[in-house]
Amino acid sequence: MPLKPLDIYKLLPKKNCKECGDPTCLTFAMKLSGGKAKPEACPYLDDNAKTILGASTRPPVRRIRIGVGERALTVGEELVQFRHEKSFFHEPGIMIAVTDMMPAESIKKEVIFVRDWVLTRIGTDLRLNGIAVRSVSGSPEQFARAVGAVEEVADLPEVLMADDPLVMEAGLSVCGNYRPLIHAARLLQYREMCRLAKKYGCPLAIKADSLDSLAELSGLCVAEGVDHLVLDLSSPNLHALLNASTAVRQHAISRTTPALGYPVCIDTGLGGLSDASLIAGVTKFGSVLICDDLPGASRKALLVLRQNIYTDPQKPIQITPGLYRVGTPGRDSPVLLTVNFSLTFFTLQGYLEASRVPCFMLIVDTEGLSVLTAVASGKLQETVVRDAIGKYDLANEVSHRTLIIPGYSAPLSGRIEEITGWKVLVGPRDAADIAEFLEKEWKP
Amino acid sequence: MGLTPLSEWSGQIGELVIGATRTDGGTRSHAVTIGGERDLPYIGIPPSGHIPRVAYELTDDPSLWQSAAIRTIGDRAHDPSDWAAFAEKELQPDLIRLYLSSTRRRGFSDLSQIGKTVEAVLQATKLPLIIEGSNDPALDSSVFRKIGEAAEGERVLLGTAESGRYRSAAAAAMAYGHSLIAQSPIDINLAKQLNILLRETGLPHDRIAIDPYTGALGYGFEYSYSVMERIRYSALKGDTDLAMPLISSAADSLTVKEVREAEGGDADQAAVAWEMYSMLPATLAGASIVCVRHPLSIAGLKSAIASLWNGQKSVGV
Amino acid sequence: MISVEKAVNAGKESLEGRMGAIEGSFSYEETAYHLPVTFALTGNIVTEAGGAQEAYRASAQNPLVAGECLLAHQASLEGKEPSPYTGFIPDAVLRTLGYSLVDGSILGLVLVAGSPPAPDTAAGLCRELQEKYMLTFLSGTIVQNLTSSGVKVGAEYRLVPLGSRPFSALHFIDIIARVAMMFGGVTPGDAERLLSYAKERAKAIVIVFPGLNDEEIALVDAFRLLGIPVIAAGDYDGNGWIRVLPADAVRAGMDLKGIKVSVTAIPIPMACSPAFEGKSIRKEEMQVEFGGGKSPAFELLRVRPAAEVQDGKVRLIGPDIDAIPEGSAAPLGIIIDVAGKQMKKEYEPVLERRIHNFVNYGEGSWHVAQRDLIWVRLSKEAVAKGVRIPDIGTLLAAKFRMDFPDLLDAVQVTLITDEKTVLAERELAEKVYRERDDRIRGMRDTDVDTFYSCTLCQTFAPNHVCIITPERPALCGAITWLDGKIAYEIAPAGANQPVEKGKIIDMDRGEFEGVNRFVKKASHGEVDRCSLYSIMEFPMTCCGCFECIAVMLPEVNGFMVVNREFKGVTPSGMSFSTLAGTIGGGAQTPGFAGISKSYILSERFLQAEGGIQRLVWMPAILRQELKGRLLEVLAKKGIESLFDKIADENMAGTIGELASFLVSADHPALAMKPLF
Repeated sequence: MPLKPLDIYKLLPKKNCKECGDPTCLTFAMKLSGGKAKPEACPYLDDNAKTILGASTRPPVRRIRIGVGERALTVGEELVQFRHEKSFFHEPGIMIAVTDMMPAESIKKEVIFVRDWVLTRIGTDLRLNGIAVRSVSGSPEQFARAVGAVEEVADLPEVLMADDPLVMEAGLSVCGNYRPLIHAARLLQYREMCRLAKKYGCPLAIKADSLDSLAELSGLCVAEGVDHLVLDLSSPNLHALLNASTAVRQHAISRTTPALGYPVCIDTGLGGLSDASLIAGVTKFGSVLICDDLPGASRKALLVLRQNIYTDPQKPIQITPGLYRVGTPGRDSPVLLTVNFSLTFFTLQGYLEASRVPCFMLIVDTEGLSVLTAVASGKLQETVVRDAIGKYDLANEVSHRTLIIPGYSAPLSGRIEEITGWKVLVGPRDAADIAEFLEKEWKP
Repeated sequence: MGLTPLSEWSGQIGELVIGATRTDGGTRSHAVTIGGERDLPYIGIPPSGHIPRVAYELTDDPSLWQSAAIRTIGDRAHDPSDWAAFAEKELQPDLIRLYLSSTRRRGFSDLSQIGKTVEAVLQATKLPLIIEGSNDPALDSSVFRKIGEAAEGERVLLGTAESGRYRSAAAAAMAYGHSLIAQSPIDINLAKQLNILLRETGLPHDRIAIDPYTGALGYGFEYSYSVMERIRYSALKGDTDLAMPLISSAADSLTVKEVREAEGGDADQAAVAWEMYSMLPATLAGASIVCVRHPLSIAGLKSAIASLWNGQKSVGV
Repeated sequence: MISVEKAVNAGKESLEGRMGAIEGSFSYEETAYHLPVTFALTGNIVTEAGGAQEAYRASAQNPLVAGECLLAHQASLEGKEPSPYTGFIPDAVLRTLGYSLVDGSILGLVLVAGSPPAPDTAAGLCRELQEKYMLTFLSGTIVQNLTSSGVKVGAEYRLVPLGSRPFSALHFIDIIARVAMMFGGVTPGDAERLLSYAKERAKAIVIVFPGLNDEEIALVDAFRLLGIPVIAAGDYDGNGWIRVLPADAVRAGMDLKGIKVSVTAIPIPMACSPAFEGKSIRKEEMQVEFGGGKSPAFELLRVRPAAEVQDGKVRLIGPDIDAIPEGSAAPLGIIIDVAGKQMKKEYEPVLERRIHNFVNYGEGSWHVAQRDLIWVRLSKEAVAKGVRIPDIGTLLAAKFRMDFPDLLDAVQVTLITDEKTVLAERELAEKVYRERDDRIRGMRDTDVDTFYSCTLCQTFAPNHVCIITPERPALCGAITWLDGKIAYEIAPAGANQPVEKGKIIDMDRGEFEGVNRFVKKASHGEVDRCSLYSIMEFPMTCCGCFECIAVMLPEVNGFMVVNREFKGVTPSGMSFSTLAGTIGGGAQTPGFAGISKSYILSERFLQAEGGIQRLVWMPAILRQELKGRLLEVLAKKGIESLFDKIADENMAGTIGELASFLVSADHPALAMKPLF
């Protein structure tokens, strides 16, 4: 349980000195409680306060950075088991695997693809995150060559996958300065792997046969001075994988087993069910997902699922206000007004497309509120409508002067008519009824 | 010490049986039981309750169906009984969900055809059935009565009751011994409210499946995902008005641009991927029945569910 | 006049005698429930005389069992009666009937037995039953009566002729018994379950005319055990039979079982839908207007005893539209009298506010404001289409019955356009308004045992539970205790649920056992304790809709309140939106609370922390908005001077400035017990 703001306030110096950057100690306490500030920002904390605040304000899942530069991947810092409790914060990185048996040209092609491929949705660019290099040959030289081929093309975050510390060191000698994830330390060789992680300042994935040994291994690594860890839970058995990742998240956020308070890594190429492993990884607490082959359709679906799951449930996705076209509308096509709450937009758009009536959607800014709440809170007002009509030059797009508004905004119809001079038709409350409505009521 | 998931639940999801075999007065080859969980989906060794099931959706009016879903079905799509027989034999879903979409056409009036279609499909397949009726209050009373009668004794799962129009579907479930899908628009409180209304009609809770409505992947799916998680969570915390199994359908996910605009073989791949990437997450959020329309989605979903269930490649009926 | 009691005794004796003499084997076909009444009551499967006698004994000589055995016996000897009589109705038909009951296409079951005095009486009664969506079963000569006067009978007309003799009335009970077993999960032999099912769920009534013999009277009288009222439209007396005139029989029966017909269409020459709510009627479009400062006008909704309210009746006192000059302002009084078993006086104002919406639903009618401030317009277009002033009454009567079907049994509307009458009635209405205001203002949390919850916001704040009390409205400011109560009465499964206060844990803090129990459950186990009058310990959770946020300011030992409209930074160092982002989402955050504006004026505001005297800062805009009412509250406490000691952003923008201001103003919070 995170400490409440007032509990934290009691531990602060109560000087309102502003040296932390916040105007009052209370503000600072609120931020600490939400994990939005670090106790170190306060220069006047006593040791006791530091200990208490350090333990309870540090994120229960450690923040880990893989790679450098603008494509660097940050994972961890998760606080909840269910996204509805607050939100999931850092999207899992999707790392496409190459092997050191592949010709350099094939590797480069793959890397270029990962670097450049992009899917743009709702104004956001969805991308793959990085490259995993598997040591298959067992040869340090060949591994180094493969890593070199990756480096030649792009500065993407990397996962170096080799069990032999000698092979790993060969890879690190090529890209160790770019903070790749070292994958993976095991009970037998963790000392060497920890030495490498320290030498190059890299995060370290660790792997063991059971969660208990994994927790033990994590303790051993910390004792070696490596605390930027990632827990590898890969298994061909999805049941085992899901139970392990759920246990790790629960033990971490409840702070019952701090040794498991690290992000999770999953190699999804193990059981022949890579789609299913990726889905389990995205929905259930994976942070680094390694996959061998990702056909186009799966790739898009995966990134869209990831975007959905990592949307902040308390901040509805907003659509950019504007005039949208459904089909190829003409000057006498209907204009339907609605709010910029994504769900409302997509639902209406879907039904309009199904109705096969070409039309315009006039999307006004209600800060992402739905029709009902926007009307209730006054975010949807006649002035908003008037401004939108002007801004998107509606009068020049269509020859008529009729606006169809959502059923729940009926109380505004008169005021909209008055201020805009447009005739208002009140549409149905439910988007599902829009086709019938247009058929019956729409005459240009 | 044995680190395992922390389970602190007090509630249990109710069990729901779909399909009646000869000994129960029906003609199905087997019945499917869903629900019964005492923990989160797939959690526990073995997991609690019953394994999630895959239903294959078909229709009596293919002109209202997504073209991606029927491209490979061919002429069978024009005869729901042919289609159902093919599905049972070749696609092997756990259940068949028959949409009487013809009732949703404007000016629908051919009630007797509804009864005939249901009877023919019951003849053609021995799989347990889910049957979707009309969604127009003006038609509901006669349509649901017809379906209820035609399927009497077969213990089908009838859809769909919504607040505002649930009486006919509930009446058919009660009068002819079927179960009912209660659909609410992505809102846990409305789901609960509908269950309470249904209880007041006298329909027992063990004959209700909750459909919290599943938005398309990429277009609101996250809301449905969280509502399913929340319903499941509340039920496990002891809210008996929400302790029914959940049903989720990928139908909307086939209407998204990415699928609609794909062509040829790409369209099949896109449809299968979109169904997989919405329905497997649905089972992870708590759905007990997931419904797909593309024939090639079934096998993949079933093996993924089997692996999540017990690490095996497949799980017997 | 027949004494029911005497006839019942004689009838029972006669039935017993005939049961003793019964012989042979007999059963019904096309049913899985054997002799259904006997099976349901005793669990016995009767197929012959010996079994029948045994079941009769097992039922402690229940006349229904005797009646059923004798009727089945007779049918097996004589065969079924010829058409149109149905005799015993098979299970398959019954299933369809049960469907219609659940489906709502039939509202209830009625048995009419005996011989009505005149054919017209029977026909009138049956027409009324058809219009009210009742399924009617007929026993006795009434069937001939109807057919001879041209009334068609048969299931398709919802008039089912059971038999030519009233004895066939017994089939009415075998239907109810089977419905109980098929739909109600009543197990055969569980007489108690059967009785309670029939009482609570079966919407059934019996109407008897003269012509029943003793046995038949004994049978019908036994129906009462199943909670079926017997309405006597003939000369019967005693045993709880309800005597009425034939014309009142249907209404009396439906009232007793609480069966209500829902209104679906409004018979006025004007469209009526929420879609028209926002349409205004401009001056040039208006035919006539009422009120709005130009003529006297008022509206009043009041509860009346059922006998004084005739459902659907609309009366106009004064001239109609044709007699009022176009474009002028005329006087108007709208008086709505309602009756309903669930309706209470305290709901009056909440329903009265709906007049505004309903009048606006009319395509050509427009309404603003409330009480004696109303302003109503009718459009030229509507009047041209034939709308007259009484149509507004018809609209109101129908909409009230549609929207509050469980609350209201009857609605009657009086419209007044006669100036003298309007003035006189307005004076009476104003008295009612004053009484209501006094009553609501005086309402205390201690006066009630039940608070109401609101979980509407759980859509985005999954664990948030608002507890609404008379002295603490919902934090959004939109729902008062009364609103919550009525919302619950109207939609018992909705988002507003009753919360039993339960034992007091700490009155100062406003912590109650029942409230804690409720909050724990409704928050899905996330919140264990909730104090209603404290912000420091276990305060209520916050969703995101709060009108204001109250924040403890440790530096000055008091609280500030900031409202949503204030965009600046407060002395806490944070703006409203920063604060809202941190405390919202359904969390419990000691020292912070989302509150409504009117809660600031409540006696219970900050009760545990010392009340209004802890209030040190508010934005000027809020201070101005509350000024009048706040001064009143302070005056009552004799601390009017406090108002000027409460700072706003002009006097103190930062915590430092606030501290100095409070010292110079000698604010009482500074001297109060430290908050922690």
